[in-house]
Amino acid sequence: MKKNEFFNQLMYRFMRIGLLPLVLISCMTAVVSASPTSGQEVLDRKINLIAEQREVRSILSEISRLAAIKFVYSSQRIPAHQKVSVQARDKRLSEVLDVLLQPLDIFYRVSGNQIVLMKKGDVAGDLIFNKGGDSGTPAEPPSMATEITGKVTNENGEPLAGVSVLIRGTAKGTATNASGNFTIAANPGETLEFSIVGYKLVSVKVGSTTSLNIQLQSDASKLNEIVVIGYGTQKRSTLTGAVASVSSKTLNELPVASIDQALQGRVSGLNVTNNGSPGTSPIVAIRGISSINYATDPLYVIDGFPTGNLANFDSKDVESVEVLKDASAAAIYGSRATNGVIIVTTKKGRRDGRVQVNYDSYVGMQSPSKKIDLLNTNQYVQYERALDGAAGIGVPPRMQPVNFNQPIYAGAKQTFAQTNTDWQDAYFRKNALITQQNISISGGNSVSRFYTSAGYFKQDGIAQGLSYERGNFRINSDHKFSRVFTFGENLFLSVGNQHYEGTGGNRSPLTNVVRMQPYLPVYDPTNKLGGFMGPHNSFDGADPTNPVEPAVLNQYTIKTLKVLGTTYLDINLTNWLKFRSTFGVDYINGYNQKYVPIYNDGGTIANSSAGINNERQLFTTLLFTQQLTFDKSFGQHHINATAVFERQGQNYTDETASGNQSTNDTKTLYGATNIAANSTFQQNLIISYVGRVTYDYAGKYLMSASIRRDGLSVWAPGHKFENFPSASVGWKIDQESFMHSARAISELKLRAGYGLTGLNAAVGGVGANGTALGDYPWDVGVQVNQALYPFGGGLGNGPASYYNQIPNPLLHWETTKQFNVGADLGLYDNKLTLTAEYFRRKTDNLILDVPTPSSFGLGGAGVNGNVASMENNGFELQAGYHQREGAFKWDIAGLVSVIRNKVLSLNIANASIAAGGDGDFGGGAPLTNTVAGRPVQSFYGWKTDGIFQSAADVAKGPVQLAGTDPAKSTAAGDIRFKDQNGDGKITDSDRTFLGSYLPKFTYSLNYSATYKNFDLAIFFQGVQGNKVFNAERVIVEGMSRLFNSGTAVLNAWTPSNTRTDIPRAISGDPNQNVRPSDRWVEDGSYLRVKNLMIGYTIPASGLQSLTKGAVTRFRVYISSQNLLTFTKYKGWDPEVGTRRTSLTNGIDYGQYPSARSYQVGVQVGF
Amino acid sequence: MLFDKKYLGLIGTGMAITILTVISCEKDLNKTDPNAPEVPAYFTNSAAILAATNSVYSAMHSQPLVAREWFFIHDMRSDQVASGGGQLGADRAQILNGASDPSNDIITPQWAALYTMIHRANTVLDFSPNGKDNAALTARNVGEAKFLRAWAYNELVSMWGPVPIYTTTVKTQNDFQPRAKEADVYKQIVQDLQDAAAALPEKSAYGGSDLGRATRSAANALLGRVYMQTGDYASAKAAFLKIPTSGADGYSLTNRYLDNFEEETEFNNESIFEVVFVDKGDNNFNWGGDNVGDGPSADQSTVRNQEYCPVAWRNLIPSNVFLNEFENTATGAPKTDPRFSFTFYQTGDVYNQGKSTLTDGDQNGNSSVVNGVTKKVSWRKWMLMYKEKSSFHPGGNNQRLIRYAEILLDLAECEAELGSPAAVVTGYLNQVRARPDVAMPPYPTTQFPCVTKNDLIKAIMHERSVELGIEEVRNIDIIRWRKKGYFTTDPLSYFRANRDELLPIPQMEIDNNPKLDAGGISKQNPGY
Repeated sequence: MKKNEFFNQLMYRFMRIGLLPLVLISCMTAVVSASPTSGQEVLDRKINLIAEQREVRSILSEISRLAAIKFVYSSQRIPAHQKVSVQARDKRLSEVLDVLLQPLDIFYRVSGNQIVLMKKGDVAGDLIFNKGGDSGTPAEPPSMATEITGKVTNENGEPLAGVSVLIRGTAKGTATNASGNFTIAANPGETLEFSIVGYKLVSVKVGSTTSLNIQLQSDASKLNEIVVIGYGTQKRSTLTGAVASVSSKTLNELPVASIDQALQGRVSGLNVTNNGSPGTSPIVAIRGISSINYATDPLYVIDGFPTGNLANFDSKDVESVEVLKDASAAAIYGSRATNGVIIVTTKKGRRDGRVQVNYDSYVGMQSPSKKIDLLNTNQYVQYERALDGAAGIGVPPRMQPVNFNQPIYAGAKQTFAQTNTDWQDAYFRKNALITQQNISISGGNSVSRFYTSAGYFKQDGIAQGLSYERGNFRINSDHKFSRVFTFGENLFLSVGNQHYEGTGGNRSPLTNVVRMQPYLPVYDPTNKLGGFMGPHNSFDGADPTNPVEPAVLNQYTIKTLKVLGTTYLDINLTNWLKFRSTFGVDYINGYNQKYVPIYNDGGTIANSSAGINNERQLFTTLLFTQQLTFDKSFGQHHINATAVFERQGQNYTDETASGNQSTNDTKTLYGATNIAANSTFQQNLIISYVGRVTYDYAGKYLMSASIRRDGLSVWAPGHKFENFPSASVGWKIDQESFMHSARAISELKLRAGYGLTGLNAAVGGVGANGTALGDYPWDVGVQVNQALYPFGGGLGNGPASYYNQIPNPLLHWETTKQFNVGADLGLYDNKLTLTAEYFRRKTDNLILDVPTPSSFGLGGAGVNGNVASMENNGFELQAGYHQREGAFKWDIAGLVSVIRNKVLSLNIANASIAAGGDGDFGGGAPLTNTVAGRPVQSFYGWKTDGIFQSAADVAKGPVQLAGTDPAKSTAAGDIRFKDQNGDGKITDSDRTFLGSYLPKFTYSLNYSATYKNFDLAIFFQGVQGNKVFNAERVIVEGMSRLFNSGTAVLNAWTPSNTRTDIPRAISGDPNQNVRPSDRWVEDGSYLRVKNLMIGYTIPASGLQSLTKGAVTRFRVYISSQNLLTFTKYKGWDPEVGTRRTSLTNGIDYGQYPSARSYQVGVQVGF
Repeated sequence: MLFDKKYLGLIGTGMAITILTVISCEKDLNKTDPNAPEVPAYFTNSAAILAATNSVYSAMHSQPLVAREWFFIHDMRSDQVASGGGQLGADRAQILNGASDPSNDIITPQWAALYTMIHRANTVLDFSPNGKDNAALTARNVGEAKFLRAWAYNELVSMWGPVPIYTTTVKTQNDFQPRAKEADVYKQIVQDLQDAAAALPEKSAYGGSDLGRATRSAANALLGRVYMQTGDYASAKAAFLKIPTSGADGYSLTNRYLDNFEEETEFNNESIFEVVFVDKGDNNFNWGGDNVGDGPSADQSTVRNQEYCPVAWRNLIPSNVFLNEFENTATGAPKTDPRFSFTFYQTGDVYNQGKSTLTDGDQNGNSSVVNGVTKKVSWRKWMLMYKEKSSFHPGGNNQRLIRYAEILLDLAECEAELGSPAAVVTGYLNQVRARPDVAMPPYPTTQFPCVTKNDLIKAIMHERSVELGIEEVRNIDIIRWRKKGYFTTDPLSYFRANRDELLPIPQMEIDNNPKLDAGGISKQNPGY
């Protein structure tokens, strides 16, 4: 026989190369997956097996491993010890089984992943089998029983084959056949359990009836899903830490550039604040503020690669996002975990032998959602007289009739007096484009699988000169090249181009939008240098800058190339011991170009030469991870243990070059003057040892402990290492026998954990390794030739070197101790789910720059020390109701997070850290202050006490400006500031705390529903009880000198208009009414309809016939973001981030506001 | 299972390799800054010590010191200046009007910058044993460092009285030093200057690219000044007499008075020590930011021309007292002192190489009263408008710190205090008056009879005032003479005893130096 010859040859070859007589080679087919398995799919799995004269049970055991299935049989009925030979090479399982079992008179039936073996002639219901399958131990003898027959169907009434039917507490069971029918012998009082992967288990007590019809519900509950945790996965039901998962579907509901923006409102305890124009990362904080000096950015781990941010990442590639919130979950990432960890897992192909193509596209329009009432030209004229007149200042020359009635430029028909520019309309852009296109192709078989995608995203700003564009490409694949080895890789490549707002400092473009005179036009076509018009300082009596001009003419761009790739090799040493070796690269090339051409508006802007300023930042981060995972059950005991060695090093190069051009024709440094160049290089390295053990007993008692030992190059020798341990326990009460009677409770788990995490202050989210302290904070370097002295008048004669630091070799991570308790409750088969968490976290060694006396000669440079402490306590609640039955299915999920922050101590008692002061926004006094006993960066200033109504009133009140003559500085109509210490004068010591930017609570509510082919989602997101320091209102209604203002100033106090809260208008603001006070502190609470989406999916049947099977899925939807915002806040947008300076969150300096947008999109599957 | 055992060896080998990698890996954690070498690794040779020495000079000519705030504070603590008008900043006006407070942000950076010089000088001294590869150069650098450190301590003790003494670099953040007694500070200064005088060469030893470095004569001159301030006139005289007056290293008066204040005549025979500035031609000034405004391409100009210039900011103008100090035929002098017109510009003067004439309108701000006549008078010394017309130009004119004319006047004062014959005293004074383009009649004159010691002191006080006006010595003179009771009314109109002798200790120092008063001297000066 030809066939036999082939096998013989094969055997011969194996013998030749010295393998043992019994050789098994294999290529594993499907791993256990969460998707339902059909009997045919199991039988179609291909295996390789060569066995000679081995016991049947041994061969069955081998097949069960190769095909990832289980055999169910009775070793008494099956000749398990008979020796047989099998030769199969890339054969379907069914063929192999036929060849093996037919001679033995055994037939089989597939039930899910189980294959039930029966002796011919045996009745299915009589089967007594051994669940373990491969041990061959004798099973219980048959007992006297009633024969029960029945049918199992799914929720649509379709028969379910392969459903396991088991008598609870015994090893007796069977499986349904292709028609969903089963027969089993059971005693009355026993409980039958019907289970199959993908459906919820149903238990039925055997009573008098002998016929059962069972309907199984598909299991959409999250409780059985697999959750990605650091360095592994775990079943949600056995989790003991605070871990939240967000699905790909949820992430992609919002048309936003990045994953972190998409996470807003999706996870309790995760606070996302949008902060700036397109392409700018939002501020992400998990469970509050853990540091005074450093950002709240969590650690992002993308496919196992710890990295600093998610910029330039395409959320369409994401399979799931897990947020590790508490220390017991996050401590596995040790020194980088205090701010929480966000694990991103990208998509993989399915092993179904088919290629899937998905196209996802939307296009939309964004517009500003709010305008502020500003003065028009007539109102401005009126206001100018009120303001300047009060201070005895004459009408600015421009506004005198002779000039005001001049044409706005030579040849124009319109005069200044006739001009009425709405600078908000001029600066903001309506119907700005937002679009995303993504196409993905994925597929796979038992050997290889892949997912590849290409994406394009573009978002124009709702203001001039702002945009973000990204193109990206991904390929993920893995290949099993033997039973033991699997090789895989993830590669992501993206190019980004952001046009950003280049104005530094707090004077944002919106400040100039408010301040620009309405009588000036935006453009001056007669101006050859730029084409814009600007105010003339003395002529106009005010000197704002035209906000449109620099936004349009200046070009500030950041071009980014990012490559993130990992490759890994899995070695399955045995069923229970796996080794994975990972190598990865994260490469970022950021090229920041600032180009300011020559232009001149004849007024406040006059650039006489073009400025070119280029900076290239190169980050190369290499990751090297070795991981050993042990996973085995011993009876009711299940142990998973993981050991990891990891090494991650980063190189950072920075190069700057700048110069000037005398023309606008050349935008490069080619031939430029004043060329200056510089470069620096930095390195850091983190070496980690990680160990974790999780243990559960009978799925009831759960325990987990981990330790990570991190060594970081940035600390001094001898202080580079630190240990970050954690431990947690869980109790699944619903698994206890005493809970069986509580039918309503489908899930009840209590969890508690404690752990230590660190923070090494990732730099602006660029690299996870780097610290804001630089890479060498302990190492005092000499500034070689960084100064000079021109001996004899020659610049090169005296190169000078110096140092100006004191090292603190004891400096180390800010470490946080965190305690977390949580409870998970599921009612009525998890229709209603509830998760509650309470946490306390305390950081004892926050790094502050402790000032040195200037007599040290270091120019006052401080020494960083671990000297302050802070705590965050909070509560989180997440609840959901899931209506999964019937044609109208809906799902509602809400969450609430409450966090309280308190600084416990600073470097010395009574120390304070003031921030945010700016002459433009309240005269320069700080707007926030950080002291022990208060939330970090609480708003700070004076309290107001109404308005002085008369000179007598002024005389009675405290002196408003200590040291001045109140008769000169204060008058009726001025604000009366409160004299907190009662010394009769208003001084710095009368300042007090005015609230915190931290909300009392944040919440969100998501409702989604499907009816037939329609789907609907509405998402509410809100924050409550926070304050915003509306510094921009100082510009809008502060009236300190002449600029355009909000219409509120028309309601200024006058002797005839006394019932107002706006003080008198007087240029120069002699009473300093603008000083930081509760006048500017507003309630920042808001509730937003973040997203509303309505979709329609063309029915599959119609689609198939329509497209002749080419298109498998077609969904079209419309959606709107930020459709409605309910708030009392007076500024453009209550969602206020920071101008990226320290301790200034929640101060509104006129930041870029959120847009309202509308999209239409399609999702097509081929 | 057999299968797995087969691989076990492989895995074992792999793990062994991993463990070895891991162990060798930990060494990789030892990283140092590739941009900035570690302190002990860098200061290992004479070249590094030279660079460290240069950095002391660099700090000295920074914005908070000689390029700007140093002359402001000295001048505003004297009776020779008045406010040019409302444009004088509030913090400067505070000092001028005697309203300084501990957080004044002119005073605070000056204190810090002087200590920066001290820290940098201490760096040179700490690491000087490593300069054996060029022992001669290192020895000179040690001398320079000590000279500069002494200069800084002299500034500190003159302005703030008892101050902390650091003679070595601070190693840990707790190396606080308390305020030391004035006598101890002077002792330290004297020691440094004696060491410097011994170690430093005279000027002929320096080539053109080293002009501006401290010399033995500079050390002796400063030593003499310091002795005078402590009342030890004999030692002062001895120190001054060590300054050679002939030969390659000799100093003498220039024929032209203004040679001491113009850019073309820097490093002349009269100049004993000057601070070097260079104009890069970009019209920029290093406004600083951090402490002393370092930077490899930082601007090297001084802003003095901008601050005082009649046609620029004109922040300070001459005081009426000072304008009227000059001998004038209108007030009975035999000759009007030519130094009046060398020191001041007034309306009608020509400038810009004779091409422009100064008007009242050119001079922004306040007017003065000279001999009963109200007019606009402005500073001329150090200004660049003699050769240009510019409303903004920081400039690169070197600041002469010590010149030979002052030594002559110092010697006159020493002799007078030591009771030497009047002729000896007037002999020194008359050398200064006899400068060719000054040519004032010799003492005694009708106005200055120079008979008694009192007469002589009056002549010395007058002569120092008109010769060294606005050269940042007047306020030091006032401190010295005030102690001796030479003033019937204090030259400072606002003067309050037990307060205005000294400036307030900066609040920053008080807040951050817990040991400031550990030596028994309270943290703040009296009256603040």
